[in-house]
Amino acid sequence: MAAAPELLPYEQIRKDLFRPLSGVSRNYLLATLCAFVVGAAGLVAWGYQLGSGMGVTGLRRPVYWGFYIVDFVFWIGISHAGTLISAILRLTDAAWRKPVTRAAEAITVFALMIGGMFPIIHLGRAWLFFWLLPYPNSRLLWPNFRSPLLWDLTAIVTYLTGSVIYLYLPLIPDMAQLAEHNTPWRRRFYRTLSLGWTGSDREWHALERAMKLMSCIILAVAVSVHTVVAWDFAMAIAPMWHSTIFGPYFVAGAIFSGIAALLVVMAALRKILHLEDYLTRHHFNNLAKLLLLMSLLWFYFTIAENLTVWYGNEPKEMAVFGARTRAHYAPYFWIMVVLNFVIPFVLLGIRRLRTIRTATIAASCVLAGMWLERFVIVVPTLANPRLPAASGFYAPTWVEIAITAATFAAMAMLYMVFSKLFPIIAVWEFKPHPQEED
Amino acid sequence: MYLIGEFCEKEAVRAAIRMLREAGVTSAQLDLFSEEPVEFPRGVLDRPSRMSLAAVLGAIAFGALATAFIYWTQYNYRVVTGGMPVFSFWATGVITFEMTMLGAIVATFAWFLWESGLVRKRDRGAPVPEVGPGAICLRVRCGAEDAPQAIEAIHRAGGRQR
Repeated sequence: MAAAPELLPYEQIRKDLFRPLSGVSRNYLLATLCAFVVGAAGLVAWGYQLGSGMGVTGLRRPVYWGFYIVDFVFWIGISHAGTLISAILRLTDAAWRKPVTRAAEAITVFALMIGGMFPIIHLGRAWLFFWLLPYPNSRLLWPNFRSPLLWDLTAIVTYLTGSVIYLYLPLIPDMAQLAEHNTPWRRRFYRTLSLGWTGSDREWHALERAMKLMSCIILAVAVSVHTVVAWDFAMAIAPMWHSTIFGPYFVAGAIFSGIAALLVVMAALRKILHLEDYLTRHHFNNLAKLLLLMSLLWFYFTIAENLTVWYGNEPKEMAVFGARTRAHYAPYFWIMVVLNFVIPFVLLGIRRLRTIRTATIAASCVLAGMWLERFVIVVPTLANPRLPAASGFYAPTWVEIAITAATFAAMAMLYMVFSKLFPIIAVWEFKPHPQEED
Repeated sequence: MYLIGEFCEKEAVRAAIRMLREAGVTSAQLDLFSEEPVEFPRGVLDRPSRMSLAAVLGAIAFGALATAFIYWTQYNYRVVTGGMPVFSFWATGVITFEMTMLGAIVATFAWFLWESGLVRKRDRGAPVPEVGPGAICLRVRCGAEDAPQAIEAIHRAGGRQR
């Protein structure tokens, strides 16, 4: 069995964790190229949509929110991986968090960047995005601050700013170390970003204080961001959207999908960067237990949300409920339940079955299941509005599918570039902490 | 002038700091350099911080400014609200909350840069010791007349003068 990473000599830790930054393998280049091709295809599709208009998508009356809003909610949910999980583990001083936090914080930043793109893609005329900014237009009319669209903008800007700072702060000491022994351009790059860090006690004290404060602040922001996303739906008086539990339901779902994303990324990093000594079974086991807990919580919320609608038997709500569970969208709904609850419950609930491989399989299922959950929430309600005559159907076109696929490729590409520029595990945090020694 | 002592153990540094403080050296004249955070019990080398206060003030400032701005814009161009209030705190509370949090984030980061000395080097001519893994360097700023006493404290605590 491999030794606990904290017990390895510091020189060894530094060597192992800085090694992935140098050299580029053929597999890495191939993976980057694949991601680039898929990403480029998405850009072409978006260009086609900008040139031809929103008619090239599957968005038709009455379903005006389709894949783009599903993707938006999904990626904002994934962004809860990092900052929220990292902040909770940091505040509770969980020792096993050390190899996990940076990978999680990076997911947050990239997922937010990708998720934040979707409202702009969905606008159609993306070049008029600046109309959302608080300045008066040519008729001296200000943006409507009561609109959830503007709430989204402020929430995402705040969360992205906080997440970038939260990722950047603990990177500073590592970048200062990287600036010592490196190629000239990298030395310049790291020296600039590390702001002349010297390792003085004033700097360490300030860093630790800032990280603690940021952990508290970012927790509140993360919860608020997904609540605001939930309110995009819940503030509308649409069947099965106008629900008081939508805020916590979305937050629980976001943490659920966030943990799943973190597990998948960790499994990939472990394999590709050969970090078997650092991302051990212990870390996967702990995260798998968290995933199982969130799966149970998600199932509870899903039951609570659907059972009350079924018991109330209100015709408009029942039309959506029927579409979700028995009619056109039923396959998506039941696959979602299997992916989000049945598979994780079996693979992670039975101790004998809980391994790194099964945790990764369960996490992948949850990612697919949570994307379906967003689809099942968004589309059936719009397809079955309060006016029965206005009922419709939604099927995405190749444009929406290409753009959606491109976002996954963009995530992979951003992560691959990040892992070549910065250590994916915080090296300085691996040293035994004085308080832990005491 | 600056003196630099190198130590291998935290306890030795603590002893050196205690002796130097007894000799009249203030904590502002002392700096530790290490590859990892070194923490001492309260009273050894305290670095009082106002970061929390800065975060709260930043939060209040941003939140108040955002609310005032929204209030002003609602009255700057009145829309027909059908008898409802032109400005409603409940309807814009989310923006006030997010801007309050943004204020706390920006203030924390700005205060970190200020307090750590990264954007405000106290003395650009001060030597910065190169620290090896596991080592702790103590930099003492003192006058020439106090130097022998400081050197003795470093040696007595088990350190090595660089």
